This record gives sequence, C-alpha cells and structure tokens, in this order.
Amino acid sequence: MMSLEASNPPHVGGGEEEESLSSKKIVDRYLKGEILGEGTYGVVFKAIDTKTEQVVAIKKIRLGKQKEGLNFTALREIKLLKELHNPNIIELIDAFPYKGGLHLVFEFMESDLEAVIRNRSIILSPADIKSYLQMTLKGLAFCHKKWVIHRDMKPNNLLIGSDGQLKLADFGLARMFGSPDRRFTHQVFARWYRAPELLFGTKQYGAGVDVWAAGCIFAELLLRRPLLQGFSDIDQLGKIFAAFGTPKPSQWPDLVYLPDYVEYQYVPAPPLRTIFPMASDNALDLLSKMFTYDPKSRISAQQALDHRYFSSMPAPTKPALLPRPSPKGGSLNQKPPFDLNEGPAVLSPPRKTRRVILPQREGGLEGILNGADTTTDERIRKLRNTGDTAGQSGKMPMSVDNSALIGSGTAFRPTLNSVDRSYLKRKLDMDPEFEYSQ
Amino acid sequence: MAANFWASSHSKQLLEQVEVDVVPQLDKDRGVTLDEFKLIKVHMTNYIWRLAQYVKVRQRVVATAVSYFRRVYTRKSMTEYDPPLVAPTCLYLASKAEESTVQARLLVFYIRKLCNDERHKYEIKDILEMEMKLLEALDYYLVVYHPYRPLSQLLQDAGLPDLNHFAWGIVNDTYKMDLILIHPPYMIALACIYITTVLKDKDKISWFEELRVDMNIVKNISLEILDFYDNFRVIPEERIAVALNKLRVKM
Repeated sequence: MMSLEASNPPHVGGGEEEESLSSKKIVDRYLKGEILGEGTYGVVFKAIDTKTEQVVAIKKIRLGKQKEGLNFTALREIKLLKELHNPNIIELIDAFPYKGGLHLVFEFMESDLEAVIRNRSIILSPADIKSYLQMTLKGLAFCHKKWVIHRDMKPNNLLIGSDGQLKLADFGLARMFGSPDRRFTHQVFARWYRAPELLFGTKQYGAGVDVWAAGCIFAELLLRRPLLQGFSDIDQLGKIFAAFGTPKPSQWPDLVYLPDYVEYQYVPAPPLRTIFPMASDNALDLLSKMFTYDPKSRISAQQALDHRYFSSMPAPTKPALLPRPSPKGGSLNQKPPFDLNEGPAVLSPPRKTRRVILPQREGGLEGILNGADTTTDERIRKLRNTGDTAGQSGKMPMSVDNSALIGSGTAFRPTLNSVDRSYLKRKLDMDPEFEYSQ
Repeated sequence: MAANFWASSHSKQLLEQVEVDVVPQLDKDRGVTLDEFKLIKVHMTNYIWRLAQYVKVRQRVVATAVSYFRRVYTRKSMTEYDPPLVAPTCLYLASKAEESTVQARLLVFYIRKLCNDERHKYEIKDILEMEMKLLEALDYYLVVYHPYRPLSQLLQDAGLPDLNHFAWGIVNDTYKMDLILIHPPYMIALACIYITTVLKDKDKISWFEELRVDMNIVKNISLEILDFYDNFRVIPEERIAVALNKLRVKM
C-alpha cells in the first residue's frame, strides 16, 4: 500500500530524522523524499530516481528483527509483479537491499480510488465511473490471463497515477492458480469485498472471487459508499442475501456442498433498481452478472469488458480527464470550504450529512417494497427530495443509503478508517515495522 | 501453475548451452575445471534433494530450488557464493516462493545433521543473509516453470498415462543437468517421454510427428540425458572434495 492518504499525513516540517532522510541518496540513484505512509510491512517514502528523473515511491521492508528473512507477503508481491507488466498494474521498477532492509521501487501514484470515492468535492459522472471500472477490469483481466488471482481487490488498493491511469496494487495476497485440486485459504479480501463462496469457506476457487470484489467496487462507485458492509462473516452473507436474495439451488447447485454452508432464511431478491436508482440498464445488467452467485456462471473479467455497458454511450472518460483529488502537497485553493477540516479519506462521519436517511427505518426493505400506499418509485423520489434539502452538498449526486434499506443491522456502522485498518493489518501480520513507527 | 510459459520471465531468461557452461573467472583462477564445476552442481543438487526429504516439501519446491541454484552460478562464482550455503538457501527461498514455507530453524537443524564438515555448520542468520544475496543474484525473478505438468498432460494425450511414474523419474534426473536453464519445460518433458517410449518399447513416432515440434531438439535433449546417465552415474566423493577444496584456497 503506497497510496497517499490524508489520514496518514507526512511528517511535515518533521524532526531531525526527516531532515537527515530528505537529503540522503540511496545507492547513488534515488534521492529520498518525505514519508508517504506505512504499508502492511514497511515504510513508504517518496523519492526521485536520478537516473530517469522519475518520481518514485520506495517501500522499505525491514528485515532486522525478522526470524524468517524476507516477509512472505513481500516475496509474493515481488514474485508476481516481476511477471506482470501492464498499464493497469503497478510497476515494480527496481529492488535492492540496503541498510538492513529490502527496498522496492514502484512508480509513484498520486492517489487511490478510495480517496476518489470518499472525496465529497468530486462528482463522478456515469462516464467517469465507466472509465474507472474499465481500468480496474483491464488490470484484472490481465492478471487472470496470467493465472494470478489478486485476492485483495478494494478501492484502497486501486492506485491512480498523475496521468489518471488506475493501477492494481498490493499483490501481497495474490497468488497463482490453475493447478487443479490446489487448496487455498478462504481468509482473503477485506470482508466487504469477499465473495459468497469464500464466506462459505470454499478452499477451491478461481478468478471469480476477484470479479465479485470488482462488482462491489462498481457498486461503490455508483453509491459512493461500500455496498455490503457486514460486521462479521455471517452478517456479511446476510447483507449479500438481503441485497440480492437468498440463492436458490437452481441458481447455485454446489452451494450446499461448501464447507461452512449454513442455511439462511429465504429472502427474495429485491429489484437491483431499488439499490441503484440512478444506474443505467446496461450498468445494472453488468452488476447482476458480476454478482452472480454461482462462481461457475459468474461473468469473467474479460467478458465483463466485452459487455455492452462499455460499448454503449456514454463512452468512458479518458483517464487524463478523470476527476481526482488534488495531489498531496498540491494547491488547495480550489477546495470548497466544507472540505478543509476533513480529509478525503475519512470513511465514516462526513457521509452522514449527505446520505439520505430513510424516514421509516423500522420498515426496512419490506417497508419499501411492499409499501401499502406508495410505490417504490415514489418513495425514492421522496427520498431524493428530502436529500436535496437536507444535505449540505446539494450538487452531490444522490444515492440512497443502502444500509437503511437492508436489514435491521443499520444501527451498527463500522467506523474503521484507514489508520485503524493499517493498524489492524499490521497487528495481524505481527509486523515488527509496527514498533518502528512509534 | 499452468500459466503461460511464453509470456513468463523464465522463457526470456533461457540461455544457450555455451552460456551455461562457463566457469566463473574467480573459480577458474582457483583451478576449477568445467568438469568440476558441473560435478559440484550435481553434488549440490543431490544435497538439496536430501534436505528436501527431511523438511518434507513438494517436488516442485525442490525443482524450483535447484533451478535457482543453477541460475545463480550462471552469474556468480562459487568462490563468492559458497555452494554449501547457497544450496540450502535456495531451498529456503523456493519454499517461500512456492507457498510452502520451511522454517529456517528447521533447515539449519538438518544441515547440521547431514553435514559432518565443521565449516558447513551454518546459523539461521547465514541463511537469511544469503537469501538477500540470492534474490539480488536472481534479479528478483522467482517464477520457474517445470516439465512435470506438461509431462502428465502429454502422456495423457499420447495414451500412455501408466508411464507417468517412470517418465517422472527421468524428469527428476534432468535437474542434475542445466536443461531447465536452456530449454522450455515442455521440450524437456517431451525428451523424457521420448526416452521412456524407447526404453519401454512403445511406438509413438506418429504421435511425436503430429505434435509439430522440432524433433531434432527433442532428440538432442534426450541424448544429453543419456550421456549424463553414462558419465555421472557414480560421483566419487574424493573428486567432489578436491573440487570444493579448490574453492577454499585463499588467494
């Protein structure tokens, strides 16, 4: 993770340590700059490649305290990125050991998709969304062609370069597949992006898990918030079924044979339109194919790229023209006033002001769907109206708060921001780097 | 790993026999001959194999480890990169790269068990230091393709699945040579099948012809394998000791 996150600010005007770092040349080639943040297993800092004049991000993986040499996750990333060269996949430019750490040199990326989605001053047009999804799927299709599953697709791992190109990054969980009967762990992906077969504990899965996650990212681009925010694996499945209906045996014949299969109370599938009132028919059709339950019939990344959603109007925005957060350290003058005291990557609180809250929360989804006196359309129109007057940012594209629509678990709203997540991730990895940061 | 070989870094790194059969200058200075250079590689391949049996890893981990080992010595000298340390470290690195990690502690334990020579009793930190040096020597390219998968597929296609076991053994032996650095894995697999069909008296000429591969190359690889069986059946311990001692000469 080498993305820039406002919640992980550089130690600007820092102490002596920063001073000494800033003027240091590493191995005669890289001019070290400010610290950008901390990844899962190391510090990331900005640098200038004196050989190519290119700005790069260098990830330092510390080895000193490790009993097992180079971190397994880092090794995976190196191994796979050395094989994957594509405009939509982060490029590993160089690697070298130096001062007790292995340094990985990546192309410098200005931002990430999570920052774009969370930034309230950015408006994403349908053409912009199409462009971001297309680049995501292109990177993914390339990985899958090379028999690599990413296994950690989420907006935060989709980095955006200064030219607007989106690139898949963080291959620390990725691995090669294609050997029949090889068993993998199902404990992959951030929960909200985990495919149902993984939640049911399958050990034999394929590229479909990435497609499901890409579907979640598509939904998130449309809604400007994560679609399926479960707070446990069981709850995650509940959220999935509430959104797309409980899978019927005809939809997913192998379901009952999965290791952790438990029966869920039958919920019919509400029309997708209720979740994505603003999406085009083609977008909805593609979404439904990416969210197909049976991994065997789920659309592949390549098939998704060939879907008519991408060939129909509007054409995807050219990457260079895509709206994106101003780069770190760039001019902040044009920023609207309400954005000054909240960073673009803050996940939870600011959302509430622009989200439309359903008037009758108790009614839940049934209330909407089976409403006695009003039709769904009227309800939604009503919601939109309330939103327009209540929300501070009237120019934001409206979206319906989906968790208000789905289930009763609405009271719980995860307030995990990126700092928490990298903290947890680091703790889980038991990364010695963690101590270093303090 | 059924990935596309031709798009891999492995395929781009294939070398010519003459490029592989070069004794590094530093080793040459110590009087190591090409024969001895090859002998040490065979000996160390066997050593990796034996270690692997103790730490219990899959075949492809061993195959990857040996490939790393041989690749390293197309770029580095044995004088600088001590083979008795490089060999277990290759196994260590390969076990990580192939997703079945072996603890360095365990490896060190078995190195001590297998080696009587005091000079080869390495510590964990030696392995970890060498791991970094190897990564650099390999230019961080870690994905290696092997003939095992094409072997099974081709035998199936040829209608000879019962010969898999026999041919598999020949494939194992090819790692005592540098074939994996020179030829695409499926060509090595075909050569092993070719030898198998000849030895087992199966007539598969028409099947080979239908494959549209250069049979001259397949035959050359096969001859090389047979040559190896003739010349390296027994490796005299003394010759290994002489060769390894040459590397330790202080200059």
